[in-house]
Amino acid sequence: MTALLRTRAGRDVAVVLVAVFGVGSLAMLLARVSPVVGFGALFDGAFGTPEEIAETLVQTTNLLFPALGIAIAFRAGLFNIGAEGQLMLGGFAAGWLGAQFPLPGYLAIPMVLLGGAVAGGAWGAIPGFLRAKLGANEVISTLMLNFVATLLTTYLVTGPLAQTGGGSQETGTLPKAAQIPDMLADSRLTYAFVLALALAAVLWWVLKRTVFGYELRAAGEAPEAARRAGIDLGRTAFVAMTLSGAIAGLGGATIVAGVLHRFNTGLSPGYGFIAIAVALVGNLDPLWIVLAALGFGMLQSGGVAMQAEAGVPREVVSLVTGLVIIALAGRRAIVSRRTA
Amino acid sequence: MNGAALAALALAGLTLVKATPLIYAALGGVLSERSGVVNIGLEGIMIAGAFAAVVVSGATGSAIAGALAGIVAGALLAAILAYVATKLAVDQIVAGTGLNIAALAAAGFGLVVVYGQPGASREVPALGAAGSNVLIVLAFLAAIALQLALARTPWGLHVRACGEDPDAAESAGIDALRTRFWAVVIGGAIAALGGVYLSLAELDLYSDGMTAGRGFIALAAVIFGRWTPLGATGAALFFGFFAALQFTLQRAGVPSELLQALPYVAALVALGGFAGRVRAPAADGVPYVRS
Repeated sequence: MTALLRTRAGRDVAVVLVAVFGVGSLAMLLARVSPVVGFGALFDGAFGTPEEIAETLVQTTNLLFPALGIAIAFRAGLFNIGAEGQLMLGGFAAGWLGAQFPLPGYLAIPMVLLGGAVAGGAWGAIPGFLRAKLGANEVISTLMLNFVATLLTTYLVTGPLAQTGGGSQETGTLPKAAQIPDMLADSRLTYAFVLALALAAVLWWVLKRTVFGYELRAAGEAPEAARRAGIDLGRTAFVAMTLSGAIAGLGGATIVAGVLHRFNTGLSPGYGFIAIAVALVGNLDPLWIVLAALGFGMLQSGGVAMQAEAGVPREVVSLVTGLVIIALAGRRAIVSRRTA
Repeated sequence: MNGAALAALALAGLTLVKATPLIYAALGGVLSERSGVVNIGLEGIMIAGAFAAVVVSGATGSAIAGALAGIVAGALLAAILAYVATKLAVDQIVAGTGLNIAALAAAGFGLVVVYGQPGASREVPALGAAGSNVLIVLAFLAAIALQLALARTPWGLHVRACGEDPDAAESAGIDALRTRFWAVVIGGAIAALGGVYLSLAELDLYSDGMTAGRGFIALAAVIFGRWTPLGATGAALFFGFFAALQFTLQRAGVPSELLQALPYVAALVALGGFAGRVRAPAADGVPYVRS
């Protein structure tokens, strides 16, 4: 046990467990609920029935996309706090395109997903450009763009691009052909889950085995050496942010095409922020991130039951998520931040 | 006075109101960054200040006690960031992001525990018009005081030295980690006043998400103001003007979402146009580890 705690991974796991169970229990006691009852309701709500397991996997999927996007940027030495906005834009593009252009099945789903990825990518390209060309800190620009994304999509969906009347904050419903098929009847789990897993595998391979992945990591880990080796840091930053945004945008599109079947401005309960914790707990490695997403997906789906069954406010989950981020902030400092 | 002059006066007044919380947050950010610690957690610190102020004002019936509690809460939250940023030398921006998420959640949790309802607190004794005006004036006085303190006092020199070159500061006998720690904590206390202003001066309650990214706009104001208290105050007034402008333009029929986006877009454009031409403190955001 003590030997395990001496390894970095062992310490990280210990920190996460203390944050989740220690702080979680404390918060439950403050809400006058026994931690046994609270965590019981959480686990039961996440894994109690096949439908609940399916919902946990839905939440896992929704966190996995933005977490993978954040990890890609992070590996390139960029902190993308804008996944939430990129996800919103991607979701809006998917919903609007899907409802606007009824195409046959083999075209509708690719169009919707591609539209989401392009919109999210464009939203990620803005801070990428500002960083690469003008040297603007990506942290603040992505933070600002989150707010702009929420306001812009609300404006578009109620204003010039409205598809449903009465100032509704939704697009029209996606035709059946544009909806991602269910994996399990009576659940919201769709093949988007498989897509997310496949994407994680692809990104793992890209990071580990391709020249592009090598350049990305070099720019993140040793920017000065990378620059001397002829890697264009500005271009790498731009591409990494665009790709990061595209992945988050694709995630938004899968929520629209898989879960909601329309875009709604309440699309995300903060997936783009929770995903920061997911990416860090997963050590920025796409394969470990899958496991981390499962853990946080459990907290998300179980948190609903915890509130309903045990009367513990769901905010406990976000509280724990924030503390996990603080606790793991030491594991990987961004080397290149100050080159701007 | 004619209508246009009245409108201009109203706009100027509203600019002051909208700028004040930004000024406090930006001053906190300036102090923190001049010592070498980037404080992304300003937003969370404002939330803590706003929420604690409401809870204590409601419990004691005294808005002044509430305001003091808000300051203490902001300083305590900043102390968490200060500790992990100095003693543990972690990535400050990642830690600050976690702080924001945790603070927002803790306030949301607190609403349910204290008031038995999500969303918003009940109304509590507020600072009133006189108190609000005092807070507005105090913001400008604080900016001048901090400008002088940073430029002219030994403490200010120490803070700046730690932000530029903590190694050199240490060899000159300054405890860099300690200096940074206290700069972040005091900065947190100042920034928390921005939250107090929102909950006890502009309103008389706490509602979920009421800080609405002002802590982040304040970060842009820090850069735009070239890391000086007076510069950041000017930038905060600039962003406050765009926030105030929404209300004027709203009456002219411009869609409200686009107007609400104005301060963020202004910050974004300022950042892009400005970033290449300003220089941050050399060791800003770089954890200091004693060799």
